[in-house]
Amino acid sequence: MAKKAKRAAPRRRKKKASARRWISGRFLAKVLAVGLVAMAAGLIYLDALVQERFDSHVWQLPARVYARPVELYPGRVLSRADMLKMLELMRYRQAPGAPTPGSYSVNGNQLIIHTRGFRDSDGGEPSQRLNLRLGGGEITALQAGQGGSLARLEPMQIGSIHPGHSEDRVYVPLDRVPPLMVKMLLATEDQDFYEHHGVSLRGLARAMVANIKAGRLVQGGSTLTQQLVKNFWLTQDRTLLRKLVELPMAVLLELHYSKDQILEAYINEVYLGQDGSRSIHGMGLGAQFYFGRPLEELEPHQLATLVGLLKGPSWYDPRRRPERSLKRRNTVLQVARQQGALSEEELHRFSKRGLEVVPRGESPLYAFPAFIDLVRRQLARDYPPEVLGVDGLRIHSTLDVLAQLAAEKALRDHLESKDPGGKNHLNGAVVVVAPTQGDVLAVVSNRRSREHGFNRALDAVRPIGSLVKPAVVLAALEQPKKYSLATIVNDEPLSVPLRNNEPWQPKNFDNKSLGPMPIHDVLVRSRNQALARLGMDVGLNKVAETLKTLGVQRDISLYPSILLGSLGLTPFEVAMMYQPLATGGFSTPLRSITDVLDKDGQPIARYPITTEEVLPQEPVFVLQQAMQDVVDQGTGRGVRAKLPASVKVAGKTGTSDNFRDAWFAGFSANHLAVVWVGRDDNSPAGVSGSSGAVPVWAQLMASLPQRSLSQKPPAGVEWVWMDPSGTLVSGEGCDGARRYPMLPASIPEEADRCGSRGGDKKKGVLQWFKGWFD
Amino acid sequence: MLLAAMLAGCATTPTTGTGGGYGSSSSSSSSMPSGEPRQQPVDARADLQGSPALALLDRAEGARNQGNMSAAGRYLERALNMEPDSSWVYRQLARLRLEEGDAHSAEGLALRALRLAPYNPGYQAELWELVATARERQGDEEGARDARKRAQELRRGTA
Repeated sequence: MAKKAKRAAPRRRKKKASARRWISGRFLAKVLAVGLVAMAAGLIYLDALVQERFDSHVWQLPARVYARPVELYPGRVLSRADMLKMLELMRYRQAPGAPTPGSYSVNGNQLIIHTRGFRDSDGGEPSQRLNLRLGGGEITALQAGQGGSLARLEPMQIGSIHPGHSEDRVYVPLDRVPPLMVKMLLATEDQDFYEHHGVSLRGLARAMVANIKAGRLVQGGSTLTQQLVKNFWLTQDRTLLRKLVELPMAVLLELHYSKDQILEAYINEVYLGQDGSRSIHGMGLGAQFYFGRPLEELEPHQLATLVGLLKGPSWYDPRRRPERSLKRRNTVLQVARQQGALSEEELHRFSKRGLEVVPRGESPLYAFPAFIDLVRRQLARDYPPEVLGVDGLRIHSTLDVLAQLAAEKALRDHLESKDPGGKNHLNGAVVVVAPTQGDVLAVVSNRRSREHGFNRALDAVRPIGSLVKPAVVLAALEQPKKYSLATIVNDEPLSVPLRNNEPWQPKNFDNKSLGPMPIHDVLVRSRNQALARLGMDVGLNKVAETLKTLGVQRDISLYPSILLGSLGLTPFEVAMMYQPLATGGFSTPLRSITDVLDKDGQPIARYPITTEEVLPQEPVFVLQQAMQDVVDQGTGRGVRAKLPASVKVAGKTGTSDNFRDAWFAGFSANHLAVVWVGRDDNSPAGVSGSSGAVPVWAQLMASLPQRSLSQKPPAGVEWVWMDPSGTLVSGEGCDGARRYPMLPASIPEEADRCGSRGGDKKKGVLQWFKGWFD
Repeated sequence: MLLAAMLAGCATTPTTGTGGGYGSSSSSSSSMPSGEPRQQPVDARADLQGSPALALLDRAEGARNQGNMSAAGRYLERALNMEPDSSWVYRQLARLRLEEGDAHSAEGLALRALRLAPYNPGYQAELWELVATARERQGDEEGARDARKRAQELRRGTA
C-alpha cells in the first residue's frame, strides 16, 4: 500500500503540467487536424472493409451434397411404406390435392405428389404434380405433368461441405423469401427500415428509454442495417467501441447498397442458433434446421418462430425453451396482425398451432456423416479447397437413402442384440454398392450412425480373414487345366517353414481336420488347412496377383498367412475387391459422386461410369456358383433366415484370429454389401463372420429390392457330373457323382465306368434300393 | 483431370466408325432375315421392351445430337440404373464415350455390352468393331486387330 502511494504522487504532478498544455489553442487545432485525418482514414478503411466483405460474403456458399434423386416409373420396386417414408424424410406435407410444391395426398394406393423440381446435368425436373399408383410392392402406374410416365423427386440434401470454416448457409434470394416473413421481420425488428439511412434516431431513442428504465443495457435500438454490420464484421459484445464503429459502417453500407440488397443479406446472414460446432446462419438454413423444410414452404406460425428467434436465439430456442419460444412467436404473430399482414382469423388460427419443430438430429441433413466423409474425400482428390468453398457447388451423390437407412438399422439392430447398450464396445461398419455401376449407395461407420468420428468403413484396416479365400480359389480356377471346383484337396495339418521364424501351422476354427474334399467344399465350409494347401500349391505370387487384379492396392507381403487373410483392408476396400466378383470380371471404380453443378444448376463436371474387363467371365462364374453355395449350405447359411431361397445371392464369411473381426461380403445382381463387426481397440470381440456379420447382411439385403444372380452359364462353362476323385467325368445317378460348373479345359477326357455309359439314373435308383435292403 | 477429359472430349470429332445395320438411333428397327429363329433381333425396342428406359434413350439421343454430351451421358446412366442388364444401353454408353474421346472407357463398356448381348452375330460383330475402334484410339493395334478378326468371323458366320 505504502509503495503505491509514493509512486502515485509524481504522476499527479506530471498530469498537472500537461493539463496546462491542453489549453493551448494551437495544440487543440493540431489534435483536431490529426483527429480528422485519422477519422477520414478510418472511414476510408471502413468503407473498403464494408464493400469488400459485402460483395464477397454473400457468395461464400458451401458445397451442398444431395442424395440420388428418387426415380419414379411404372415397374419400379417400391413399397407404399417406403414411398411414404421418403416423402416424410423429404418433409412433404400432407394436404388434400397436393396444392403446393412439397405436398402430397394419399388415398389408399393412390398418391398425388407435388414435386419441388430441381436442376441436373440433364436439365433436371420441373416442379409438377404426379399421379402415382402403387401395388404389389411396386409402382403400377405413373402420370406426370406432360403425360410422361417417368419422373424424379428432387434429390434430398444430405449435407454441405465447407473447406475450412464451420459456417453453413442455405442461400435464399429475396424474391423467394415469403413476403409475410419480410413484413414480420420489419414489424418486429426495424419499423423504419425503408426510411432511415442505416441508423434510426427514433429507434435509438426508444432503446435509450428502455435502457434507462431498466438501469442496464437491454435494447440495442439497432436497425437491420446495424445488425447486419454486427453480424458481418463485428463481435457480439455490446461495447461502446463496437457501437462507435458500427454506426459509420451502417451508414456506409446504406450508401453503397440498396435497401433490398441489405435486406437480402440480412435474411441470409442472421444468426439463428447453434448445432454443436455448426452455427446456423440465415433464414434458409434456419428453416431447414428447425422445421426440416425450405423457407418457401413454411407456414405463418413457423415464420413467426424464426423471426422471434432474432431477439435471442438461445433464449428463445424452440427446442430447449418451447414455452418461451411459443410466447415470443405469438407476440410476432400479433405484431404482424397489427401491421395488417395477417387477418384476425389467421392470427387466431396460427396462434393455436404448436411450434412443430422437427426433433434435433432427425433431419436427413447431416444424418449420414460417414457417407459425406467419403464424398468430401473424393472431392478433395479432384478439387482444390478454395473452389469447393467459394462456388456454392451442388454435388449430386450416389447415396440411396433407403439403402442407407436399411444398412444403419441392420447394424444397429444386430449389435443391440449382441451387445446391448454398447457395454462391450462392439461396433461395426457397412458399405453398400451397386456393383454394375460402382455407385456407393450407403456407408455406415458406427452403430450410432449419426455420430461423427472414426470412419470405420473407410479407415478401419482389419485382417480380412476368410474373405480372401474366393481370391485364392479364383487364382486356382484361372489355371483350369490344373484346377476345378471338383479338384480334391486335403484338409490336413501342414507346416510351412518360414525364414527366421517358427513354421506356419494353420488350424481350422473347429480344430479338426476333415481330410480330402473338393475345392468347392473347402470354400463353402471355409476349411483353413485345405485352403492353405491349395494356396501353397497355386503359389503365393499367383494369389497376390489375383488380389491385385481384383483391385487391392495395398502392399501384399508374400507370407503364407495371406492365404488365410492376414492382409488388412478397410470395409470399403473389401467392397472394391468383391466388385469384379459380383460383375463377372469387370472392375468399376467405386464412385460417390455423379455430377457437380454450379450454384445455378449448370453442370461443371461429371463422374461418368467407367469399367474395365479385368477377369475372364468363365472362372468368375464358376467361383460365383461356389459362393452361392456358401450362402445356401455353408458358413453363410444364416442369410437364409431372412432372405428367401429364391433370391440367388453369393458371399463369403470372414473371421480373424481370436474372433477379433467378423466379416461378411456378398452380393446379388444389384447390391454388393460388406459388413464388418469388431472392436476399435482390436481386442477379441467374440464374434465370427457367421454370428457377427451374416445377420446384419441378411437383414440389410432382405429389406432392399433384390435381383437374383444369373444362373445361366456363359458360353464356355458347362455343368458336368464328376466322380468323387475329381479326375473323371461321371454321370447323373452314378456313385458319389456331383455336378460342377466346369471350364472346358478342366473337363477330363476320361470318364468313370458309370459315366462312360452316360450315367444311369435307373442304376442310381436301383442302388438306392439295394442299399436299402443290404 | 476429369475436366481435362471432358475438354478433350469436346475437341474430338464425333465419329461413327461402328458400321453394321444397327444405326445410331434408338428408334431404328432391325429387320432380321426370316428362317433364323434362334437369332434374336437387337435394338433398343427389342432389348428394352416396354421399359421406361426407352424414353431416356430417346432423350439421350436428342441431347447427343445437340452436342450436349454430359446430358446424354446422364440420361444413359439413368437408363442403366433401370436396366442394368441391357446390352443396348451399354452399347450406347460406349459409343458416347468414344465420341467424347474416352476410348478406354468405351472399350470397357463395349466389352460389357458384348457380355450381355443376346445371340445375334451381326450385333456382336458391330460391338467387336466398336471395341476395335476404341483399342485403336488407345494405340493398341494388336488388340484392335484381334477384335476386328472376331467381328469378321461373326459376320462370315452369318453370311
